[in-house]
Amino acid sequence: MLFLTIEFSNLATEWMEGENVADSDKSRDVPLDSSVPTASLESILRTEELQRRPSRAPDYEKENQALVKLVSALADSPATIFRTLAETIQDITQCDSAGLSLLTRDGKTPHVDGERFYWPAIAGMWKPHVGGGTPRNFGPCGDVLDQNRTLLFTHFERRYPYLMPVDPAAEECLLVPFYVNGKAVGTIWGIMHSDRRKFDAEDDRVMASLGKFASSAYQALAHIEDLRIQVAEREKAEAEVRELARGLKAKVRRLVEANVVGIVTWNLEGAITGANDAFLRMVQYDRDDLASGRACWTDLTPAEWRGHAERAVADLKATGIFKPFEKEYFRKDGSRVPVLLGGALLEGDGNEGIAFVLDLSEQKRAERALRRSEAFLAEGQHLGQIGSFCWNVATDEITWSAELYRIYELEMGLPVTLELIRSRVHPEDVSLIEKMKMVDPAREGGRDFEWQYRLLMPDHSVKYMHAVAHATRNQDGQLEYIASVQDVTARRRAEEARDKARSELAHVARVMSLGTLTASIAHELNQPLSGIVVNASTCVRMLASDPPNVDGARETARRTIRDANRASEVITRLRALYSKKDPLPESVDLNEAAREVIALSLSELQRGRVALRLELADDLPLIRGDRVQLQQVILNLVLNASDAMRGVNDRPRQLVIRTEREDDRARLTVQDVGVGIEPHSAEKLFEPFYTTKSSGMGIGLSVSRSIVESHHGRLWASRNDGPGASFSLSIPRSPEGFPHSDAGRQGLGTVHVGTAHPRVPESLSPSENKMPCEFQLGMTKPIKAAANQPIENEP
Amino acid sequence: MVREQPVMSMRPLVSVIDDDESVRESLPDLVREFGYSVQAFSSAEAFLASDYVDQTRCLILDVSMPPGMSGPDLQRELARRGREIPIIFITAQGDEAIRPRLLKGGAIECLMKPFSDTALLEALHAALTVN
Repeated sequence: MLFLTIEFSNLATEWMEGENVADSDKSRDVPLDSSVPTASLESILRTEELQRRPSRAPDYEKENQALVKLVSALADSPATIFRTLAETIQDITQCDSAGLSLLTRDGKTPHVDGERFYWPAIAGMWKPHVGGGTPRNFGPCGDVLDQNRTLLFTHFERRYPYLMPVDPAAEECLLVPFYVNGKAVGTIWGIMHSDRRKFDAEDDRVMASLGKFASSAYQALAHIEDLRIQVAEREKAEAEVRELARGLKAKVRRLVEANVVGIVTWNLEGAITGANDAFLRMVQYDRDDLASGRACWTDLTPAEWRGHAERAVADLKATGIFKPFEKEYFRKDGSRVPVLLGGALLEGDGNEGIAFVLDLSEQKRAERALRRSEAFLAEGQHLGQIGSFCWNVATDEITWSAELYRIYELEMGLPVTLELIRSRVHPEDVSLIEKMKMVDPAREGGRDFEWQYRLLMPDHSVKYMHAVAHATRNQDGQLEYIASVQDVTARRRAEEARDKARSELAHVARVMSLGTLTASIAHELNQPLSGIVVNASTCVRMLASDPPNVDGARETARRTIRDANRASEVITRLRALYSKKDPLPESVDLNEAAREVIALSLSELQRGRVALRLELADDLPLIRGDRVQLQQVILNLVLNASDAMRGVNDRPRQLVIRTEREDDRARLTVQDVGVGIEPHSAEKLFEPFYTTKSSGMGIGLSVSRSIVESHHGRLWASRNDGPGASFSLSIPRSPEGFPHSDAGRQGLGTVHVGTAHPRVPESLSPSENKMPCEFQLGMTKPIKAAANQPIENEP
Repeated sequence: MVREQPVMSMRPLVSVIDDDESVRESLPDLVREFGYSVQAFSSAEAFLASDYVDQTRCLILDVSMPPGMSGPDLQRELARRGREIPIIFITAQGDEAIRPRLLKGGAIECLMKPFSDTALLEALHAALTVN
C-alpha cells in the first residue's frame, strides 16, 4: 500500500534525527534475557474489565461533532489527518495520550505484511515519541492484530521492555485495530498514564467507531498518494517532454538564427507571422513591416505564380505539407527574387505553418550563364558552320549538335544512325565516324582523327567536310569521341576559283608578256622572212640575166628554203608557248628548258648587249611539271635581268644562267649585274602588279612565283655580293603524281604523311573531284584542330 | 657567187653593214644583180677599219648591231669625219617610229624587214642619184 510521502519524509527525518528507540536494529539489541523478567501477555491484559467497568454515558453530540470535524479535516487537510485523528481520540476519550500505529516493513514504506509498527501521529503526553514504533511480532499492536480484537493493556512495558524508556509509562492502553479491504493495517490507541480514569466500554465503542474512520482515512490517503504519484509521474513525463522540446527548440532556433536559409511562419490567410533575418533580407522587408502586417504572402507573390501558391495551399490542407517548389517573390522595391520553398502546417488541421525559403538567385545566374554560353556555342557553331557530334564507343550512341543537322540538311532531332549518315555522305567517300570504326576498333585507347569527305545533297550539290575527332573519357569513365565537323565547301570553292584565276592569270601573263617579246618575235620572224624575200628576189634576177646564173639561183633558192624553215620553227615554238592548253605533267630538264628559252630570246639579249654565260649542271635532277610554264618563268627572269642591266655601261652586262643540284631539288639561278634590288623590297617584287619598269607588265614575278609554287618549289630574289641581283627557283624532284592544283596552299587536307591516298588520280582533270587526303596522327602528335592552321608535317 | 670588181670600175660601191650573217649572205647578191659592186661588213667598226670607207658610194646599214656601234652611231661618226655617205637604214625592229626619226636625221631611206627588192632598188637609185 502506498503511504503519504510527506508524512513519511517528515517521520523519516524525525526518526533519523530523534532518539530512536523503536529502531529495528536497536530493538533487536534489547536482550530478552532472564535478567529482565518479562511478564506474560495475560498478565498485562485487562480487556474483560472493559465490560465490567461502569461505562460513562455516551456523548453522541460530541462524538458526531468530532466525526464531522474529522471528515472535514480529511477533505481539507488530508496531509495531517492522522494528527487530527490522534487529537480527536484523545479529546473524546479524555485520555492522556492517543495515537495510531501503522504497519510498515522498513520504517519508511508501509506494507501489509510489514515487520514493524510505527507511530505516524501522537497526541498528548506521548507526543514526543512520534515516529517511534513497535515490532510486529513482539508488541502490543502485534498482539492486537494477532488476536484480531480490541485489547486493553496495563503497563505493557512489563512484557515489552523496550517500551520502558517510553515515558510516561502507560497505566492503561486501549488498542483498537483498523482494517482496509479486510486486512488489518494498524491500530489506534489511547493511553492513561495514571489511574485517574479507567477505560470503559464506552471508550471501546467510541474507539471502534474511530477505528472505522481511521480505516477510511487510511484509504483516502492512499488514494491521494496514488494520485499524487500519478501526477508526479505525469509531471515528470511532461517535464521530460518539455525538456526535449526545449532541447529541440534550441536546435531549431539555432537553425533559424543561423540564417542559412529563410524561415517563415505564416497562416493560411496569407499573413506572415514570423521570419528570420535571412528571409527578411531576401525580400528586403524589415521587422516593422512584419509586425505591422505589411508583409503578406499574397502581396509577395507575382500574379503568374498564384496558381502554384494555390496548389501548395491545397496540398497543405490535404496532407499537412507542401513539397518544395520554385517560384518568385517581389522584393519591397518591386524587383524579383527566385526562390525554392517547402513547408508544413504546425498542427494537422491548424491554420498556422512554417516554411523554409531558399534564395535561388545564384543558381539562376549560373543557369543563365550556362544558357548564354550554350547560345554562344551554338551561334559560334552556326557562324563557323561547324557542327559537332559525340560518339560513345561503348553504347554506340551518336549525338549531333543542331548545327550538324543543319549542315547535313536533316531534320533536327532525328536519331543518328549509320543509315542516316550514309544517306548524305558521297557514295565515293566515307564519313569520319565510319572511318573511325574501320580503322581502329577504337575500343581501346583512342587516338585522335582528322578526316575530309564530301556530302552529296538531295539536289546533287556537293559539300566538303573537314572533321577532327578527339578521344576522351566521360564522367562514367567510358571512352567517347568528341568531333568537330566544318563545312569547308565555300573555302574549297574559293580555292578552286583562285586556282582557276591563277591559271587564267598565268595565261594572261603569258599573252601579255608577248608585248615584251614583240620585239624579239618580230625580230625572229622578220629575219627569215627578209631572207626569203631577198633570196627569192635575187633568184629571179639571176635567172632573168643573160645568160642565166643558174648556180647562183640554186644557191639563193636553197637559202630561201632554209629561211622558210627557220620561220616555221619560230611559229611552232610560239604556238606551243601561247596555247591555252591545261598544263600536262611531263619530265622536265631545266637545262634543256633554259637553252630553249635562251634560243627564243637570243636576239633580244643581243639587242640588249647582254653577255650570256651558261653554267648548267650535269647532274641536274629531272623535275615533273609543265615545261611551257617553267620556260615562261625562266624567260621572265632572263628578260628582267636584261632590263635591269640596260643602264649599265661601265662593265660588261654579264648575265649568268646557272643550274645546280641541291639534294633532290633542281635549282636554277639567273644572275645579273644590273641595278640590283632594294634591301627590303625583295618580297615586294613578287606582289602582283609590282613594277619598276615604266612600260613593264609587272605581273611576271607574281605569276612566276605561283607557277613555281604549284610545282612545290620556291622562287626568291637576293642581292649579289657585287652589283646586281640573283633570282633563283628551286623545285623538288617529285616522284609520283602530278601535284594537285590545290597543292601548296596553306590548309589542312593537303598534307601527306606517308604516301598519298591511292585514290588520287594520276592526271588531274579539271573537275571538282579532289579526293580527300587521309592521315592519322598518333597519340603523340598534337592536332592543330583549328581549321585554318597548317599542319607542319613534311614528308 | 660574188664577182670581184676592180676598184676603179663604173659600178658604184655599196657597203652592207649588218651583224646578221644571213643578211650578209643574201643581200650582196641581190645588190649585185642591181648592178652595183658590194662589200659586206659585220660591224660598223669593221667598216671604219677597212679601206673601203672613201670608195663607198652608199651604205646599207643595220640600225642595231650590239654590242658595238649602232647604225646611227656610225652616221654620226662619218659626219664627224666629214665623210657624208648616203645611208639606207634597214631594221628588223617593228617600231614604226624609228623611220621618221632616221629620215629626219638625214637618211635616204629606212626599210623595215622584210622589204621587197623593188623598195631596195628605189632607195639605191635615190641614194646614188643624189650626187
